Amino acid sequence: MRLFSRLTNLEISDPDDARKRKLLNILVISVFVFTTLGTLLATIYFATSQDIKLDDLKMVYVSGPLLILGTVLLYIINRYWSGQVAGYAFLLLMLIVFIFADTPFELSNGRSLFVFVIPITMASLLIRPMASFVFAALSSIEITLLALSQSLPPNAPAITGFFLIALVSWLSANSMEKAIIELRTLNRELDHRVEVRTRELSEALTRELIEAGKTQAILQGIADGVLVFNQENNIVVANPSMGIITGVRPNKLLGMDLQTFCQREEIFAEDRPRLLNLLEKPSQNAAAIRVRWNKKTLSVNAAPVVSGLGETFGSVAVFRDFTREAEIEQMKNNFVAMVSHELRTPLNAVLAYAEMLRDAIFGPLNTKQFDAAQRIYVNSQRLLNIISDLLDQAQIEAGRLKIQLAQTHTVDLIENLRTVMEKPAHDKGLELTTEIAPEVPTTITCDAHRIQQILVNLVNNAIKFTSQGQVSVRIFLADPHTWALAVSDTGPGIPPDDQAYVFEPFWQVESITTREHGGIGLGLSIVKRLVTLMGGDIKLESTVGKGSTFTVTLPLQPVLQEEESK
Amino acid sequence: MTDKPLALIIEDDEDLCEIFAQALQAANFATETIRDGKTAFQRITEEPLPHTIILDLHLPQVDGSQILKQIKSNANTSGIRVVITTADTVSAELLRDEADFVLVKPISFAQLRDLAARLHPSRKTGPLGHLRSG
Repeated sequence: MRLFSRLTNLEISDPDDARKRKLLNILVISVFVFTTLGTLLATIYFATSQDIKLDDLKMVYVSGPLLILGTVLLYIINRYWSGQVAGYAFLLLMLIVFIFADTPFELSNGRSLFVFVIPITMASLLIRPMASFVFAALSSIEITLLALSQSLPPNAPAITGFFLIALVSWLSANSMEKAIIELRTLNRELDHRVEVRTRELSEALTRELIEAGKTQAILQGIADGVLVFNQENNIVVANPSMGIITGVRPNKLLGMDLQTFCQREEIFAEDRPRLLNLLEKPSQNAAAIRVRWNKKTLSVNAAPVVSGLGETFGSVAVFRDFTREAEIEQMKNNFVAMVSHELRTPLNAVLAYAEMLRDAIFGPLNTKQFDAAQRIYVNSQRLLNIISDLLDQAQIEAGRLKIQLAQTHTVDLIENLRTVMEKPAHDKGLELTTEIAPEVPTTITCDAHRIQQILVNLVNNAIKFTSQGQVSVRIFLADPHTWALAVSDTGPGIPPDDQAYVFEPFWQVESITTREHGGIGLGLSIVKRLVTLMGGDIKLESTVGKGSTFTVTLPLQPVLQEEESK
Repeated sequence: MTDKPLALIIEDDEDLCEIFAQALQAANFATETIRDGKTAFQRITEEPLPHTIILDLHLPQVDGSQILKQIKSNANTSGIRVVITTADTVSAELLRDEADFVLVKPISFAQLRDLAARLHPSRKTGPLGHLRSG
């Protein structure tokens, strides 16, 4: 079969020509094979039978080799020169062969008329559709000549039939060729489209690879450990830094599910639930958490991976080695505790000795001695307040100040304040007025100690800056869910430009007042931090020359704000 | 003098020891001072048991909170009034419920003297509320 297709196939660019010449090749080879076989059979028959005379076989031995030679010649013409010429020659050869196939009568008027249909129909397929008419004409001439040779009239119905067959062949071959051409055009367009699409795809793929390469490079290079979880909460990406930070090979992490990851024994047992919670519910605004991983402290943050259409398909977690920072923070906390103790202890001694001297525990003093003792006492107290402010600030920053909520009698808040602040106000010639609005509940949920700190701080400030008039404290309801503490004074007031800064640490209006009034301005910033810790807010209203009012608003049902560690 | 109730002052700072002793003596207590945690830990198991203990948290060798735990867990000593003195407000918060009183340093002479006077067995008042300074 392969030999056959190699013999019949032609390497020609025009597909129509190739198709026709291939068909002709098949026919020519078939005729060649049948003629050869026929000649051979005839020879065998002649050799075995005595009845046949050599004369009877004259036709076979003349036409057989001639046909074989003709087909070889046609094949060569068809293959190497022209299909058209070969086609005409083949069909003409056929017409000539027909003359010897039957009697002239049978050919022109009898049973063998049908054989002429073969070249007429084949012409349309082998050469071109119009060629059918050429062979219809040639066939007509042939049968007319054969009829005339027998003294018969031309066979008009047969001739008409030939032309009708030619017409049908022409029509069908024509439409077939058109259909083939259309199909070929369609194929060509399709090929083109496939080609374009393939090119586009390969370009997109290249772009994608470049982008992925960039992302990959970033992930490889970044110092933070990165884990990406898919929607099924399995790890799909673990970068090299993740391996360096955790000491676990990134390959080992791939495919691991979130639960298994959070149960790893390297993670400090107490930190596991927090880590699981963070990774299970990643949020864009979630604060970073600390996780102890073996001897390291890691800062972990997680965020959902959201597509442009707002669809979540997994999450990304970033692990940062926080060991050094945690150590520094611990050192700072230790420092705060140490300073707290080391500074207060000697100051306590100074203060108490001054007090004991002044109060004549060691014997009576004259006026000047009493005055000196009093000065030592007051100045030590000032120094102590500064230290306390600094330590409070440091402790708030270290996140160590805790709020403890309890049911508190509203009256107690005011009573405690009066106990502490009445004397200082009176000493300065100021009136301290307090008021609880009737709508305020008799008990409030709050941290009385912190409220006390806030009130003392605000009232102390008010007394410090007011030279005459009064300081008033009022508790009222700002709205049905919020209660408020307002501390007003008749002091110099705070200029509008400065009002925004009063809650900043170390701020005070003008440096002169600093020296005159003492303190280093941490008070208000601490008040603000405490208020924030309790879920409340603090506002300042002030008119220069008339006085200031600080209003603290707090929720009646407090929710503790977790102060984030810095 | 032996009929005075005994106050044990556990405080590592020499000056504060002296001040606390003065304040307690002014409130009519007999005083005994101990300057380190280890000795204090030993002393609270021995007679005579003190009526009141002034306990600093920050002590050499044995921490004040351990001593407090020891005092409160032993039936013999659990009745002793313990006044914690500390400079650390956070520790003060943590021990608010365990000790009888927590005083945050600085502690004034008058403050401790008045508190001691109220703790004195000769006074027949009921239990006191928590006093705090700060």
